[in-house]
Amino acid sequence: MDPATQKKWDRAARGYDLMNGYGPEWRWGPYKRWLFSTMAGRVLFVAIGTGQDIQFFPAGQEITAIDISPRMIEHARVRADGYDGRLELRQLDVHDLDYPDATFDKVFTSCTFCSVADPVNALKELRRVLCPGGTIGMFEHTGSRFLPFSLMLDLMTPLMRQVGPELNRDTLANLYQAGFVDVNVELVYLDVVKLIHGVAPCAGGLLEPKG
Amino acid sequence: MDLGEGYGSCDGRQIMNWRPYFLIGDLVSNTGVGAVVGLVVASSIGETWWMGLGMAAGMCIGSLVALPAVCLFSVLFGAMEVMLPVMLTGMLAGMLVGMGAAMTMLPGDVAVGIGAVVGLVVLLTTYGLDFYLKTSNE
Repeated sequence: MDPATQKKWDRAARGYDLMNGYGPEWRWGPYKRWLFSTMAGRVLFVAIGTGQDIQFFPAGQEITAIDISPRMIEHARVRADGYDGRLELRQLDVHDLDYPDATFDKVFTSCTFCSVADPVNALKELRRVLCPGGTIGMFEHTGSRFLPFSLMLDLMTPLMRQVGPELNRDTLANLYQAGFVDVNVELVYLDVVKLIHGVAPCAGGLLEPKG
Repeated sequence: MDLGEGYGSCDGRQIMNWRPYFLIGDLVSNTGVGAVVGLVVASSIGETWWMGLGMAAGMCIGSLVALPAVCLFSVLFGAMEVMLPVMLTGMLAGMLVGMGAAMTMLPGDVAVGIGAVVGLVVLLTTYGLDFYLKTSNE
């Protein structure tokens, strides 16, 4: 467990809904609803936060949702109780999942990999717990290849890092580096906010089994 | 991809978020921040300043004014969709008005107008780029 990250998100839990619960969620809601509509089988949701995304989950699914912050999970529990399906909440660090290899059919993330301490290794861990051929669906904000925006994101990152996410991550490159294949992207806003789909390759061998 | 009511699509890609709440929010936040930055910068920089210094100071002042505005408006209208154009508006409006104020006596209403126009141009440019990226084959 990464104590610095946990502490940061524990601190952020109280004001999180105020900052992100109205405008951003309303604006992004249709995209998230569309992304999560592909949930099926054994689903892992990474970084559930205060559970704002639960409203966009399709009913009747069997979902395991994790977060590094116990404070976030406390907030999420109320929303999870109202979910029409089976939703298990667990405090876990995405870098060190205690699930056996090939446990899940699908993994979903939502504004997660802007905050994970070691994104490539965390994605490798997700690849490990995905069945061969299993998919990852991500709603993420990343850096930009356009100078004014990348400059802005680079300038804002040291400030934002103190209270929350990094703004200039290359999550797409990280996904490739972690060994996912058939990666495709749907833009949500400029080249910054995007839906990313990737597949865990069927032929293993790139990753060593855990333990 | 069908995202539901309020979303256009072009060859499977959503091209624009037409919901009036967000269109008005984007407009108000960008032109509003541009106008305030114009006023603050024009009242902070005198015509005796060297133009380069006026631009640099205007850019810094514009960014500082835009930062709290981003926190407020992003709660209401969206995160990145507010942060990127509004911060850019703050920087550019500050630079432009700072340059003008260092060259000549710039009346407050003119500075407000310049700032608001910069905000509008930045917003329309980001809309255009967003549209282009979603409709072009990458």
